[in-house]
Amino acid sequence: MNPYWGQSFFSFFPLFFYRMGLLLTGRLSLSELAPDELQIFALSLIGFSCAIVGTFLVVRKMTMLANSLSHTILVGIVIAFLVCQPFVGKEGGPLFLNLGSLLIASLFTALLTSFLTEGMVKVFKVQEDASIGLVFTSLFALGVILVTLFTRNAHIGAEIIMGNIDAVGFKDIKLLLWIFLANLLLLLLFGSRMVITSFDERFAKTVGISLALFHYLMMIQVAATSIGGFRAVGVVMILALFTAPILTARFFTNKIFPTIFLSGFISFIGALAAVASSRSLLSNFEMALSTSGLFVALLFLFFILTAMVKCIQFRRRKSHEYSLSCRLR
Amino acid sequence: MLKPFLDPVLFAPTLGSMLMCLASSLVGVLVFVRKRSLLGETLSHAAYPGVIISLFVTALFFAYSEELIAIVVLVGALITSLLGLYAIDFLKRKFRIYDDAALTFILASFLGVGILFASHIQQSHALWYRQSLLFLYGQVATMREGHVVIYGVLALLVVLFVSICYHSLLSLNFDRIYSRSIGMRTKLLDMLTFWLLAFAIVIGIRSVGVILMSGMLIAPAIAAKALTHKLSKLLFLAALFGVLSAYLGNLITFALPLQFAVPTGPAIVLVATGFALLSLLFAPEEGLVNRFLRVAKFARERRMENILKLAWKKGQLISAREVIAHFPLNALYLKFFFQKMVRQGWLSKETKGVYRLTEDGVRRAERIVRLHRLWEVYLFDFLGVSSERVHGSACEMEHIITPELEDKLSLLLGDPKTDPHAQPIPSGDRL
Repeated sequence: MNPYWGQSFFSFFPLFFYRMGLLLTGRLSLSELAPDELQIFALSLIGFSCAIVGTFLVVRKMTMLANSLSHTILVGIVIAFLVCQPFVGKEGGPLFLNLGSLLIASLFTALLTSFLTEGMVKVFKVQEDASIGLVFTSLFALGVILVTLFTRNAHIGAEIIMGNIDAVGFKDIKLLLWIFLANLLLLLLFGSRMVITSFDERFAKTVGISLALFHYLMMIQVAATSIGGFRAVGVVMILALFTAPILTARFFTNKIFPTIFLSGFISFIGALAAVASSRSLLSNFEMALSTSGLFVALLFLFFILTAMVKCIQFRRRKSHEYSLSCRLR
Repeated sequence: MLKPFLDPVLFAPTLGSMLMCLASSLVGVLVFVRKRSLLGETLSHAAYPGVIISLFVTALFFAYSEELIAIVVLVGALITSLLGLYAIDFLKRKFRIYDDAALTFILASFLGVGILFASHIQQSHALWYRQSLLFLYGQVATMREGHVVIYGVLALLVVLFVSICYHSLLSLNFDRIYSRSIGMRTKLLDMLTFWLLAFAIVIGIRSVGVILMSGMLIAPAIAAKALTHKLSKLLFLAALFGVLSAYLGNLITFALPLQFAVPTGPAIVLVATGFALLSLLFAPEEGLVNRFLRVAKFARERRMENILKLAWKKGQLISAREVIAHFPLNALYLKFFFQKMVRQGWLSKETKGVYRLTEDGVRRAERIVRLHRLWEVYLFDFLGVSSERVHGSACEMEHIITPELEDKLSLLLGDPKTDPHAQPIPSGDRL
């Protein structure tokens, strides 16, 4: 019996925080968690990871690479699945990856994508934007064909794009937690170096920080985060999580660490709101909407609202300044 | 081979996808030359919510009809695609968000909104929802003659537009400043190009789907680019590759046995990529294979000329040992190389392992030495390079200097008779 059933959108939140309090004080056990709460955990964890990785992507102007990787991870997942399946057996449904397979898949994908893209640019002398486009669409096409052949699941295609948040269980959340902790650890260990290599390559070189290392590390992080999140939100929408919260946060600050925190916070609010609205719409109005779709749409909405507010602020300030300057004369 | 055209069930899908890929390949070239190929990806993802919303709105007022859906979906997809286009421009201009971030943000957000609406009509109008799935990965198999007519007319419009505006497009893409100076409405043409892109994408998404659409914009253009530099040929070849890919993609999908059934969209994209790779590898001038062969050929010629030069300096007789002492070469390879030079008439076999320069060989060797020493004089006298340094550069240039350049150098330097090392410069008659 889902405790959130029949709640209105607004009464969802107090109930959620109350239950979280119970969880933390030990009066609620993990196995008693409602699926909604699991979904909130999953989406928030993905959001936090994406906030860390996405901030650097936007700052380093590597979002196209993330775009490319988010499509090519499909091939990585399929191949890792095929390679590891004989060893771990079928657990968690089609295309589920445990930690080991995830690492292999991300490494393989990141290397394959960068190798092919750079190969096309340097060896075949194709222009960069076309190389990126060709590599990821062809690999994605290959991935779709492989997936169709091996899973015999007619709906897998839609699931790849949209994700299937309802199938998220404890195993997925554990995986997402590991990914988040890994991203956090990398941030704490290498955060300052990442900032230096992002903004001042010459300085980084003179102090001996390896540019290539952090470039490839970033790619592996993107691949791992995308693969971790693809079961919940699907392949393409993870890109929204890499960009929307960060672009929204940048209206408020232009420092790296505040951007990361703020993006994470925005994702968390979005996750809460998405699950809350999804549940209340379902139970009160019998409208079944995709939670991941709601999540992305809400993040988009946050961006639009923030942008509008900033525009109005800007205009008001401009007219205020203008009227001030008129008076001074 | 001709089965897709003869079989009544396969006829419409094959012809339909061929027409759609024709349009997308043509427009793909236009964005390719502007280096904005990735815009196609964003616009195709942005078209998805339009598909869904138009289905939803139509479902509220009309009864289910596949032909109506085909038209309505085109309109809806075009609207949101163009909305995406203007959103990108707005974000870049107003908020100074850079190109890649804006593209990625718009593509993911619009797709997300599309999926949100799709999840709604999945419940409320399930029949219409199934139609929307077709546009995610494309589905040609259920196309009928009506679709072919619609897409055919639209593709024809694209072809007409490109043909009519060809010269303006040529001028606009390759010399923008000139175009502006002659009063061309460059901004208008830009807008028309991007509108055409949205149009072509919207036509094409039925065949390969929104996710893979950019593949059909880019791959034919890449395949064509390796073969030519002229815009007219680029357009023609890209269209050819696009149409062929669609045809073969359909052929493959239909020919496969049932347990290997694959969706047609990805198959078409993979075939197009295959064409691109083949073209990049084997194209006559720019293909990778040909480039390697040319480099290898030049390396061989250079080696031969070096051997001739060495022989000339050593009194017109040369042996394998002497060559190996100067250049690091494999003895067996050298044996075959000598035989080849004998065949070509530069050397004649004197005794075992010793070769003599023929008359042609002498003349060629003298020419190389002349070019070498002329270049040394040029560097020394004109550019002030010290006499120790000129040798290295001359060793490279001697193989490259053309007869025209040789004449010019001789004229410039006043037909010198000795080089900076006081060695005589052969007069060198032409071979």
